[in-house]
Amino acid sequence: MVPAESGEGEIRRRLRSRFRQWVNRRIPPARAVTLDQKRIFIFPSKVGFFFALALLLMLVTAINYQNNMSYALTFLLATLFIIATLHTYANLSGLTIRALRAQPAFPGQQSEFSVQIERTRRRDHFGLRVQWPQSTEGLVNLVEDDRVQVHLHTAVGARGWYTPGRLLLESTYPLGLLRCWTWVDLDLYALVYPQPQSSAELPGLATDKPDGTSIPVMGSDDFYGFRDYRAGDSLRQAHWKGLAKGQGLQSKQYQAYADRSVWLDWEMFGGVGVEQRLSHLCYWALEFNSADQEYGLRIPGAVIEPGTGERHLERVLKELAVYGQERKEP
Amino acid sequence: MTIEQQIPRNALAWIIISLFALILPHAGRIPVWVLGVYVFAAIWRMQVHRGRWSFPGRWVKALLILCGFSGIYMSYGSLIGLEPTVALLLTAFALKLIELVRRKDAFVLLFLGYFVCATEFLFTQDLLVVAYSMLTVTLVTTALVALHRPGEHQFKGNTIRLAAVMLMQALPLMLVLFFLFPRIGPLWTVPLKSHSAKTGVSDFMKPGDISKLSQSDEVAFRVEFDGDIPPRSELYWRGLVFSKLEGGAWMSLPYYNIPVAERRVKPVVTETEPLAYTVIMAPSQQNWLYGLRYARPASPGVMETSDFRLYSPVQLEEDTLYQARSWPDAQLEETLSEWRRLTELQLPERQNPQTLQLARDLRRGVQDNRAFIDAVLARFNTQPYVYTLEPPALDEEDAMDEFLFETRRGFCEHYAYAFVIMMRAAGVPARVVAGYQGGEVNPVNKTVIVHQFDAHAWAEVWLEGEGWVRVDPTAAVSPDRIEWGLEEAVAQEGSFLANSPLSPLHFRSVVWLNMLRLRYDALTYRWQAWVVGFDSDRQFRLLQDVFGQLSAQKFATVLIGAWALVLIPVAISLLLRRSTRKTRPIDRYYRRFCQRMAKLGLEREPGETPRAFAARVQEAAPRLGTQVYNICGLYNELAYSRGPQTRGRPDPRQRQLKRAVRSFRPRKLR
Repeated sequence: MVPAESGEGEIRRRLRSRFRQWVNRRIPPARAVTLDQKRIFIFPSKVGFFFALALLLMLVTAINYQNNMSYALTFLLATLFIIATLHTYANLSGLTIRALRAQPAFPGQQSEFSVQIERTRRRDHFGLRVQWPQSTEGLVNLVEDDRVQVHLHTAVGARGWYTPGRLLLESTYPLGLLRCWTWVDLDLYALVYPQPQSSAELPGLATDKPDGTSIPVMGSDDFYGFRDYRAGDSLRQAHWKGLAKGQGLQSKQYQAYADRSVWLDWEMFGGVGVEQRLSHLCYWALEFNSADQEYGLRIPGAVIEPGTGERHLERVLKELAVYGQERKEP
Repeated sequence: MTIEQQIPRNALAWIIISLFALILPHAGRIPVWVLGVYVFAAIWRMQVHRGRWSFPGRWVKALLILCGFSGIYMSYGSLIGLEPTVALLLTAFALKLIELVRRKDAFVLLFLGYFVCATEFLFTQDLLVVAYSMLTVTLVTTALVALHRPGEHQFKGNTIRLAAVMLMQALPLMLVLFFLFPRIGPLWTVPLKSHSAKTGVSDFMKPGDISKLSQSDEVAFRVEFDGDIPPRSELYWRGLVFSKLEGGAWMSLPYYNIPVAERRVKPVVTETEPLAYTVIMAPSQQNWLYGLRYARPASPGVMETSDFRLYSPVQLEEDTLYQARSWPDAQLEETLSEWRRLTELQLPERQNPQTLQLARDLRRGVQDNRAFIDAVLARFNTQPYVYTLEPPALDEEDAMDEFLFETRRGFCEHYAYAFVIMMRAAGVPARVVAGYQGGEVNPVNKTVIVHQFDAHAWAEVWLEGEGWVRVDPTAAVSPDRIEWGLEEAVAQEGSFLANSPLSPLHFRSVVWLNMLRLRYDALTYRWQAWVVGFDSDRQFRLLQDVFGQLSAQKFATVLIGAWALVLIPVAISLLLRRSTRKTRPIDRYYRRFCQRMAKLGLEREPGETPRAFAARVQEAAPRLGTQVYNICGLYNELAYSRGPQTRGRPDPRQRQLKRAVRSFRPRKLR
């Protein structure tokens, strides 16, 4: 029994991979895809089969009652079904799907994938459903505007580049009898940061200066004062109350025990696995960032000079995320 | 519920509109309370939509369904038969509205709607009903379209446009299928219209029956003659022959009461040229067909009986078309069998003694049967007998004594009744014939329209050497009835269609109105002859006329050809829409220039700037250099730099560029 079952599974798997190859050849990955007959598939929907059943019933009625008008109505609806094929196809044809951006996320979190659907011909498009295999779905019309943005959320996987798979764009407009769809690979990847993992303390803290004393970074820092908000400052430290009073945006400054740059070094976590090492580095980068402490990153293949701010954090986290990945850029 | 499954408000509005449009043609046929269910369901659903009420629970639904079933059973007395089935379908259709939650439910409801539309055709295929059904189909399709436009929270009238366009596109292909799809017989027996009233002349005639029928202005049948239409006084449409008088009513002989030897049709000599005609009968729920004496069927499925009538083995539930040929002068039954003679002479005992005595007296006074007939007719003619649509009710026992000697007021069936019993009393075989007399000739298409008020009863008498001879006693009383029709005959009385004052037949004197009625009637005839009466026989003939010898190959070619002919233009109109990107005229000119260069083998690379391309051309073909630089320069200036402020009017350099490109027609590079 068991081998037979696994044999069947094997066939199914092989068929699926064969199919995937075929789709890959037919619709190669691209940041923007314009839909044409090579990329659009069409087949009667479940509702369409149900409709066909209803038509069959009407045909039997027409035959049994020898009723010519019932014949006529049955044929009218049957040809409507066929005409609907063209209308359903036209609803997808000429659309361009463009990858916009994917938000980086931590493992297990939701990432937002944004795509844009544009029309290239002057016609109204209705009921366009977009979805990645595991994402939320979007349902849009293109009536007044020539383009519309759709934001879909999906949980990302492990560290590195996460690809949500092929984007499904489908529509059953106008009658629901036919389903017209396409799977496009938008070459859109979300960056997945390492899972932050705390470590009791930062072992072997490395500073710029050899004479640096050990700096306690843990714990809450004392409030020090305000300074004008600069681009790159964490919004968490923005002094919103002051803004509300009309004082202009300012950032709260926290005083660290030592106002020195810290290097987050690969070698700090000796004897730990690669992923765990990245997780610790990630954790500390986040910690320093929230403390508004300058820090740099030194890992094999990448060095980032010390700095602060969200931009800096993003650069650091990205380097951690792509460590060991073949692909460096999306 | 996913967003896709939600029903937009626009769709809900269209669903309710189409629901009521669908029920309208059924309204007269179904119990009134079913209409109540519709209103109730619509109100409930709208209240749900407004958030006031909630959807019914499982038990409430079950209760509603049970109520529906028992209501139908109470109204019709059964659940079997076409009418109860359709009423049940309509009730379920209304109730489905209350549980319309998701798009799935809407699909069920709307497909059921298409089916409801088809059931309407089982009752009538009238031209107006069909035209109306086109509207309802469009409405249902509109609701289906609206269902697929998410986010439309307002009623939108223009949703109907796409539905109408799609149906228009479907129409030609529907016609192809309609005419090509083979017509096969019923696959199994289906419930019949058990609850529809039988109309027309019935097989049971009491004095007063036909005058009642004559109150109706409905069309009984329409006839189209191949040649000239005979004079109306000759148009005696025989439908039934009544040979048996029992309990004061005339009846036809039940088939199984006729001895086997008498059942077959006696041979009739037919030598002269026959009258050929086509009849389209309105559904009567009866078996008999009408024809002029002596009629022989020319259509399959029509039978002939031993008393020379046309007969359909199945009840007429639809408009029915048949063809017949008639020989008005043919002699029928030269010799009468003993059984037939006895049957056609039989009289109930001890009834109408005065009438029978009168008949014997009259017979004694003349030489032969012919003279006897004349004597009876003369009595009707000379004595003060009145032809009236409102005859007084008569006693059942001695009805004719009362009629002949006291009331003296009667309609055709009274005179025929009296005449036949007088003949029989005197030993002359005679019988009553019922059917229609006359008809209205439609000048538009030369058809004869026979209405219910043309119903008539007359007599047939068997004479030695002549066979069965038609005698119409009514003609002796009211010759106008035969010459001009009922309206003229009862004009003084004012009783013509007294119960239907709005009948269009009252307005025959208004010329344009009458013309409109006749034109519509002609259209109805065409419609019935061509569309409603289209059966396998006509289909075969039509296809043979159009395509000659039929072959599968031709069939397929026509089918595929027709489909291509319709689908390709539709596809083109759908897929070749104007692009959303507007091209400026200067881009068009420059592109034309590039095309000309490409023809000479010098193609602009994608991404190559006009200036770089011009430089490349200069290098390859120095001869063209100045022209090319001029064009590229102009294009560059127009495309990338702001020209002088010439609002509204195009930059003059644009025309310069246009001219430069137009005059640029190089033959070769060097």
